[in-house]
Amino acid sequence: MADSHQEWLKQMEEQSKAKQTSFMAGIAQRLGHPAMTKAPEHPFRGAPDFWKEFEWDREEKIERFSANWQSVGGHVARLADMNAARDFIADKAREMGARYIVRQNEPELEALGLEAAIPDASISVWNTDPDVYWKARSAEADFGIVIADHSVAYTGSVVVKSSKDKGRSVSLLPTVMMIIIPVDQMKTRLGEVLSAFDQGGRESLPAGIHFITGPSRSSDIENDLTIGVHGPGVVYALLVG
Amino acid sequence: MSAKGALGTVKGRAELALNDEFLRKAVKFTTERLRNGKKNAASEHGNWELWRERGRAIRLHTIAHLDYYLNLFVNNARANGVHVHFADTGADAVRIAMAIAERKSAKTVVKSKSMVSEELHLNAALEKIGVEAIETDLGEYIIQLAGETPSHIVIPAIHKNRYQIADLLSEVAGEKLEADTTVLAGFVRKKLRESFLEADIGMTGCNFAIAETGSMVLFENEGNARMVTTLPKTQITLMGMERIIPSFQDLEVMATLLPRSATGQKLTMYMSAISGPRRGEDADGPDEMHIIIVDNGRSLQLGDPEFQELLNCIRCGACLNACPVYRHIGGHAYGGTYSGPIGAVLTPALNKNIAEWDDIANTSSLCGACYEACPVKIPLHDMLVYLRRRKVEKGHGNKIESAGMKGFSTLLGNAKRFRTVVKLGQIGQKLVVRDGGIRTKLGPLKGWNSYRVTPSLPKKSFRENWATLDQQIRADLKEMSPEMKQRVEDAVKRRGQGGGHHHG
Repeated sequence: MADSHQEWLKQMEEQSKAKQTSFMAGIAQRLGHPAMTKAPEHPFRGAPDFWKEFEWDREEKIERFSANWQSVGGHVARLADMNAARDFIADKAREMGARYIVRQNEPELEALGLEAAIPDASISVWNTDPDVYWKARSAEADFGIVIADHSVAYTGSVVVKSSKDKGRSVSLLPTVMMIIIPVDQMKTRLGEVLSAFDQGGRESLPAGIHFITGPSRSSDIENDLTIGVHGPGVVYALLVG
Repeated sequence: MSAKGALGTVKGRAELALNDEFLRKAVKFTTERLRNGKKNAASEHGNWELWRERGRAIRLHTIAHLDYYLNLFVNNARANGVHVHFADTGADAVRIAMAIAERKSAKTVVKSKSMVSEELHLNAALEKIGVEAIETDLGEYIIQLAGETPSHIVIPAIHKNRYQIADLLSEVAGEKLEADTTVLAGFVRKKLRESFLEADIGMTGCNFAIAETGSMVLFENEGNARMVTTLPKTQITLMGMERIIPSFQDLEVMATLLPRSATGQKLTMYMSAISGPRRGEDADGPDEMHIIIVDNGRSLQLGDPEFQELLNCIRCGACLNACPVYRHIGGHAYGGTYSGPIGAVLTPALNKNIAEWDDIANTSSLCGACYEACPVKIPLHDMLVYLRRRKVEKGHGNKIESAGMKGFSTLLGNAKRFRTVVKLGQIGQKLVVRDGGIRTKLGPLKGWNSYRVTPSLPKKSFRENWATLDQQIRADLKEMSPEMKQRVEDAVKRRGQGGGHHHG
């Protein structure tokens, strides 16, 4: 019996590595080929060729994204610049009576000056104080404010990547999610975002990459659509630029 | 849950389902809605056949080189900091999961939907060592409260109505909850929020695992899978060994096929790619992440030309929604973890006990609707025939059926003998015919007559009438009236001129 948890994990790791060899050998034997050491030719990688050419122009992307986002129950605002985004968020916070707000720790959001714009709300910045239990702080928040790392028009999706400054909780736990989308970087197809992950390779990936395509929903009770089952039920896409 | 028992046969379980009017209507309503959603989503997207073909090609390629890609995945996942384990059997997987739970002194495990976990009956095992396993998918949470199993891959509580659900949740709440979807879902949201934040372990399934980066991908609509992979300190992922795809680019194809086929959505509300535990300074995500790779009968299909393609399945449920049999009897009648056409093949294939599950292979009309619906073109209807054949080859055929077939061929092989038997039947049936039909539930007609009426044999059989019919037709053909002849000739002429735009 291992005394520390780390030792136990190491033991399990050794067992698993020994098992890995026989597990793979068993598969190879059933498939009827010798153990594979080189990557096989993969002639069908990714989407069909015709699809890889497909692209919308800027306005069509914005239009399609908005239509998709709204069709699943999300809200859209088209805003000229970040000042307009700040005013929009501040107006909504007043209108909805938001008292607790959590935002990602990013320079663009810092520059908004939300604290001055929404003096009635308590605004926390993700992971800036080691003594705060940030998951609970996000769970009690009315608004979570996020910037999209990518967006995709064809499916109406935004993509957020985790880091020490960008909590996964901020786009998940608050009642309302406000996500700022720089429209100049919007892509047409999912594949444009996904293939960049292949190119960057394993080491470039954060722990969590999340594609978000609208409010949390379920049809599990009598097929009756409910919004906001676990994640945010109200989601605003702020298209900036 | 045992395959046999009080309700040992598909027929026994189906009778329960068929008598439950609500279930039948609910299943039909839901499956039709999902099926139409899929059809619309597929046609709106366009080139659906090309996408299906591409999906099939990627799955075939990956499974044909599974040892390479799985090995690559494992090495990359380890490099991401994941603890990877291998389980040959369901029992091995349960043992590993329980060992982790014990090391962590876990009190509660929050789970997002995982068919593999259902396959292992993991919740019961965890309960035995005093660990509470909480299903957090709304539908799964409901059926867990009811002590039942899922009846549909995508909508597990398809068989419950809102009043039954309100009763179950009211018991948990300790007060009467209104049978209103928003109220009920709101209660579950609040209740499970606490569980997510308090749980020691988050447990998930895995829709796809990306070999080249060691990432695991989850598709969901509620956000509970994100909760489970973000909040607890330890994450355990149960993954069927065949869930692999080579790259993120290949994920685009799966992301195009899976949501459209499952629910008619362009994409589920959340698609998450998790590549290991939280990085050093991250303030959320698990500290420790385990992936248990489960065989449990899957490798038995490898190298089997008739069944290897089963491993291409992406668990969308489209074949259930398309299946006329599933739409009538619902999921529980199949008696296994997986229901519908995929379950009818997968359950005996994974268990390699064709004899025990023999009647499931017969739960199909072999119409091929499942194949047409399948986004990766698995020939399920052919597989059902292979299963039946194997069953017979192994001597598990139905003795009465074989005897019947033999007798039938003896009869039909000789016209005179056939004539005699029909005559006997016409006389003999006088004892049982009422209002032109046979309703007795005794003897060989019991099964059929439980739901239908057997038509009586006509006084004169078709064969007996044949001579007269033949004569009449020949006479008619010879003496076509002049008007009729004119009409026919006109019609032929019009057709020649490219007319005939309205049907006959």
